[in-house]
Amino acid sequence: MTQHEPPLLLVGTDYRCAPIELRERVSCTGEEAEHALLHLIARPGIAEAYLLSTCNRTEVYLQPRDEDEAYRTALDLIFLKKSPELERPGRLYVKRNGEAARHLLAVASGLESMVLGEPEILGQVKQSAALAEHVGASGPVMRRLLRSALSAGARARQETAITAGAVSLGYAIVELARNIFSGLEECRVLLIGAGEIARSVARPLVERGAREIRVANRSRERAETFKEEIPQAEIVSFEERMESVRGADLVIATTGAEEPVLTRKQLKEAMRSRRNKPLLVVDLGVPRNVEASAARIENLFLHTIDSLDLLIQKNLKKRKEEVPRVEEILEQELHHFRGWYRGLEAEPIIAQLQKQAEKIRQRELAEALSRFPAESHAELERLTRSLVRKILHHPSTQLRGRDGTRDLSRLDLVRQLFRLDDENSQ
Amino acid sequence: MITFLDTASLLLPLLYLGAVIAYGFVFFAGHPTAARLATPVLRGTVLFHLLYLAGLAVHHGQFPAATVSQALSIVAFAVAVVYAFVEWHGRERTTGFWMVALVFFFQLLSSVLTRPNPPDRAIFHDPFFATHVSLALLGYAAFVVAAAYAFLFLQLYRDLKAGRFSTFYGKLPPLEVLERMMIGALWVGFLTLTGAVATGAFWAERLYHDAWLHDPKILITIATWVLYAVALLLRRLQRWQGRQTALASLAGLGAILFSLVAVNFFFTDFHGFL
Repeated sequence: MTQHEPPLLLVGTDYRCAPIELRERVSCTGEEAEHALLHLIARPGIAEAYLLSTCNRTEVYLQPRDEDEAYRTALDLIFLKKSPELERPGRLYVKRNGEAARHLLAVASGLESMVLGEPEILGQVKQSAALAEHVGASGPVMRRLLRSALSAGARARQETAITAGAVSLGYAIVELARNIFSGLEECRVLLIGAGEIARSVARPLVERGAREIRVANRSRERAETFKEEIPQAEIVSFEERMESVRGADLVIATTGAEEPVLTRKQLKEAMRSRRNKPLLVVDLGVPRNVEASAARIENLFLHTIDSLDLLIQKNLKKRKEEVPRVEEILEQELHHFRGWYRGLEAEPIIAQLQKQAEKIRQRELAEALSRFPAESHAELERLTRSLVRKILHHPSTQLRGRDGTRDLSRLDLVRQLFRLDDENSQ
Repeated sequence: MITFLDTASLLLPLLYLGAVIAYGFVFFAGHPTAARLATPVLRGTVLFHLLYLAGLAVHHGQFPAATVSQALSIVAFAVAVVYAFVEWHGRERTTGFWMVALVFFFQLLSSVLTRPNPPDRAIFHDPFFATHVSLALLGYAAFVVAAAYAFLFLQLYRDLKAGRFSTFYGKLPPLEVLERMMIGALWVGFLTLTGAVATGAFWAERLYHDAWLHDPKILITIATWVLYAVALLLRRLQRWQGRQTALASLAGLGAILFSLVAVNFFFTDFHGFL
């Protein structure tokens, strides 16, 4: 009896099953991942291995020769040795065959990410695939599975809006700026406050190429710490912040001040001196850093944590609506992967069939040749070969499933019809 | 020829409606099939529209702007050509629904107001007529384009001001770009309308001396010209921002529609042809 699904085993843990303290213990990157892969494929029960380890998940995909041995090895080597607490029920998940393949495709498409549609995961899957290839842990099955996963991830990004819209505070600010200004590369940014929030929102702005980043903070030391993390930033005096507001396109206030650090009057004056050019002001302070009435100033766009949250929720909702379309892509890619695997199964049967036909051809030809003149032997040889090849061409194509009608019961039927399991047949 | 012109007059609004629906699917649903169909449907319709206008010119033996219906059709055609160029040049389809909707509106109005036999006056064969009317219609088309950008600018401006992120948010070019497109179209419209007023004044002075000055059509056109001149001057002096200029642009479009349709039908004899 043939096996319809590719034999795969997945053992893993992610942010839904284990807290960060456990996840970081089993996290496995760089040299450590290389050694782990080498150890895995050194075991006789494991034919191929792939390891994916990010801050949110560690997963081992195996193509087992002996499933029990493969499972025990993965469990001990990757998980329990470093974090025995993972043995508790619900901390780890195990998936097999098609389910394991589908899971990897879903991971690459961002469906399993903590932030739905998060795009970085595709790069991480690709990087881990390169490592598995480099150490020789990938074989034909894993290589094809990873190709399907990367294709699913890329198609999900191109054909659906699963990665569209900002879903973090920093990127929500980038998105707002992009709706106002013709390019972020022309944007001058002023951050008032240099704490953790300021750093987290400054990073995406730097990544997306903001022209200039200035930071104004009451404490100079804190501003220096900010500059250590964001070297592109220029420190300006907190007292002279209004001077910088006049030249900025985007102002982000994140201080813990009890009183507003930007009043309506100050902003109105600043707008006048900047000839009313559009200004985006983001107030992330609690209590508010910017007087709410400043929102009434012409061409000044004041946003608070609430409006940014509204934007993030709206984008997340849009991403959720895209999930069925991504799942369709997963099914298509999975279908191709399964088809490829079944084609792999058909090859030995096709080879047997060809061998058997060749045997018959040679036997019949040997009997017949004596009845024909010697000069026609070569022609008969060519004719019979061509006949056999042409007769077997269509059945072989059907068995490989290249016509899109893959049916594994055909393999069994061919075995029975041509008695391929019987070594002495024909 | 008459059968073709009658059929085309009926078909054109339907074809533009088809394009509006396709662009609507692109804008509201990001539909991939609609995205593939929208541009060819519009380009095909624009070509058909060109054939229709050429047919009118050949059949009547004069520049096809002798009636309000013909003038509206030329405005619709010019807006469609301008949008098709913007889309081709900027590979940008997000404003398509709104632009093509305006084209549909103008062509529908034109088809409804179609008259079988346009007047045949001596002035229609004067080369000044073609120059004057072409400039005026090109100006109107540019003001229509400016009004479409103004409308989109105001929607996005309100969304960004109120933090409510409606259907428009995230689907349009940035505010600065919309404003730049609007101002650019306003300048094109203003300069061509200036040309139309100047050639018209020179020509009318030669033919009618002072009689033309009291024509309601001319008065409303000069008022429209002044409105656009003031809006552009205040924007240039930074006294007005994008929002005020956009509102003025929409008011200007209202004045143009009034001048093109209402004034022609009810108040003028002198400009009765257009």
